[in-house]
Amino acid sequence: MSESVNLAPPSDGEVLVIAEQILGELQPVSLELLGAGRYLADKLGGKLSTVILGDNLGDIPKKLIEYGADTVYVADDPELRTYRTLSYRRVVCDLLETFKLPPHIVLLGSTTTGRDLAPRIAANFETGLTADCTELDIGPYEHKSKVDPSKVGLYEGCLYAIRPSFGESLKARILGPWKNPQMATTRPGQMTPLAPDANRVGKIVNIPVKLQKEDLRLVVAETVREVSKGVRLAEADVIVSGGYGLGSKEGFELMHELAKCFENSAVGASRKVVDLGWIPYEHQVGQTGKTVRPKIYIACGISGAIQHRVGMSKSGTIIAINKDPDAPIFKFAHHGIVGDVYQIVPELIRQFKDKLATKGEKTVVHTH
Amino acid sequence: MAGPYEIFVLIKQVPDQGSKAGLNPDGTIDRAKAKRMLNPFDRYALQAALHVKRTYGGRVTAISMGPPPAVEILLEALEHGVDRGFLLSDRRLAASDTLATAYALYKTVTHVGKFDLIFCGLQTTDGDTAQVGPQLAERLSLPQVTYCEDFHLDDGRLHARRIIEGGVQFVDCVAPALITVANSYHPLAYKSFRGAWRVQQLQRNPEELGKYIRTVDLDIIQADPERCGLKGSPTIVAATEKVGELGGNCSMYEGHAPDEMVGELIEKSNLKEFLVA
Ligand SMILES: Cc1cc2nc3c(=O)[nH]c(=O)nc-3n(C[C@H](O)[C@H](O)[C@H](O)COP(=O)(O)OP(=O)(O)OC[C@H]3O[C@@H](n4cnc5c(N)ncnc54)[C@H](O)[C@@H]3O)c2cc1C
Ligand SMILES: Nc1ncnc2c1ncn2[C@@H]1O[C@H](COP(=O)(O)O)[C@@H](O)[C@H]1O
Repeated sequence: MSESVNLAPPSDGEVLVIAEQILGELQPVSLELLGAGRYLADKLGGKLSTVILGDNLGDIPKKLIEYGADTVYVADDPELRTYRTLSYRRVVCDLLETFKLPPHIVLLGSTTTGRDLAPRIAANFETGLTADCTELDIGPYEHKSKVDPSKVGLYEGCLYAIRPSFGESLKARILGPWKNPQMATTRPGQMTPLAPDANRVGKIVNIPVKLQKEDLRLVVAETVREVSKGVRLAEADVIVSGGYGLGSKEGFELMHELAKCFENSAVGASRKVVDLGWIPYEHQVGQTGKTVRPKIYIACGISGAIQHRVGMSKSGTIIAINKDPDAPIFKFAHHGIVGDVYQIVPELIRQFKDKLATKGEKTVVHTH
Repeated sequence: MAGPYEIFVLIKQVPDQGSKAGLNPDGTIDRAKAKRMLNPFDRYALQAALHVKRTYGGRVTAISMGPPPAVEILLEALEHGVDRGFLLSDRRLAASDTLATAYALYKTVTHVGKFDLIFCGLQTTDGDTAQVGPQLAERLSLPQVTYCEDFHLDDGRLHARRIIEGGVQFVDCVAPALITVANSYHPLAYKSFRGAWRVQQLQRNPEELGKYIRTVDLDIIQADPERCGLKGSPTIVAATEKVGELGGNCSMYEGHAPDEMVGELIEKSNLKEFLVA
């Protein structure tokens, strides 16, 4: 090993999570980020803080402590009720300016909000940002390339931001140890939250909100969120999910019929069919819908776009029915039938009914 | 100001991942050999920009940063009805990350001139970060509407619908603004015969073509080379690792009668365990 100097910028190892709420509802990805952030902070020997912005945040700061934060910075102001790029950007940048040393790491969720806000903050501080990470870790890094001699050296405590790249066929480890904060966003459903602990102690710090006129240039006229009405996607063992390949709204009758063959089942859907009004939003699986982990996920006429996949890739067994043998879903499904849903699904239902019938007969035989 | 609008659209040429050409054994892309295409997400941005021009009047300028072959996508944009194109091409831009790219595009945009609206794609298929648009907006101190699915303009005021977790949001702001267009926006319309014909004529006359497509470098746009390329990039790819087929190997059932394929699936999978009793 060559003798090299550690050139990393000074740091006290602090990790900051930018938490997220929508209409007062804390987003699950924030708790996942606290889990990841706790791991990183412990490895760095630093503390874990989080910042939450909103209006009338109530119990949310306390909850953030229960899930692992040492310090919660709270910006509670009517102007912050709904996420807006410029006003949130202002508050977060102002907060970061007050740090004696910039945090070592800043994390956000790869949600529509996190992906909107993170690049603004990174560009403002001229620091690195890695999008959509699936794994985060800390480790050393030796930079040998002499293209920029000022960067050569051995760095300790670097953020390893690991993400898929090149159409998901590669995993890339991205580093930026030259400047803090080192920033990353993570996909919802990828990190594991800690078990909440009501006895955890932490500090809640209210931070000032000083918005300027230019921060209010964009107006949110309306936020439309459909609330879940008891479609039990999260608890189901088997999810039968339909996509644009169903061809019409009526296709979902077939989905329900297939779902009925299973114990504890539910019907899911892709965003495309939800947008078309074929089925209500509460059935949507994916980045902007629900994240599910059933034992079996049956995708019917769904192409497997990344935004759908992030919501269901952790399912036990993924079965795909698609008439296009090159559909991306076959790249991550466990079983794939290449065929028309309208031929395959009725046949599935028929064979299940046969099986049930023979099962039934056997039971009868046994009781005699 | 009710139009006409000065409209910029940022487009990028990316390797065609659908074709196997130019794929190294380790899964990385050999950019010299790979087939090239217009970033699919930028097609929506192009449609949005052209929509503004057609509905309210104005001029559309396509801007791209990339190696010389990227001129192909600017020609393609002209065929679709874009008025002119700028290509920023310079060896010193090699290995730029999103921060360096956004800086270089910022210098290009200010070099090109005044604008009312900048449209970007949601993300690229090679960088795949969705960061360049917002980073550019930050440099330009602009309000931004990301994940925009639909919009209209009303006397210089932009009214937009954008995707959020679990729903949509209706927002509005006064131009200038930067918009990243979601893939649920209208698909790019077919090229007009006239557009394709015009570009064909232009290609025969390089001098005339030069009036419509200009190639610029870092010196022309007065960008600081220290802030571009590897030097200007705070991040690097330290290692890559091949991840086999996602989620393991998919057992495929193909080319047989439905009853056979279904029978085999039921046999081989754990579906049976969950049937209603
Ligand atoms: C910000 C953002 C957030 C998003 N969030 C989500 C999300 O949460 N969830 C989500 O699902 N999407 C989401 N999307 C949309 C996503 O990008 C895709 O557009 C969507 O998932 C596609 O839905 P699909 O698979 O039903 O349709 P398509 O992509 O059109 O696929 C239809 C499939 O059906 C197959 N097919 C057609 N006919 C038949 C037949 N008769 N039998 C069998 N197969 C057939 C086709 O081969 C094709 O593969 C989001 C997009 C954005 C920009
Ligand atoms: N080299 C480039 N030239 C022009 N536009 C770009 C370039 N890179 C990114 N963009 C724009 O920024 C969007 C997001 O890109 P990315 O951050 O790479 O996912 C793209 O859809 C383009 O509109």
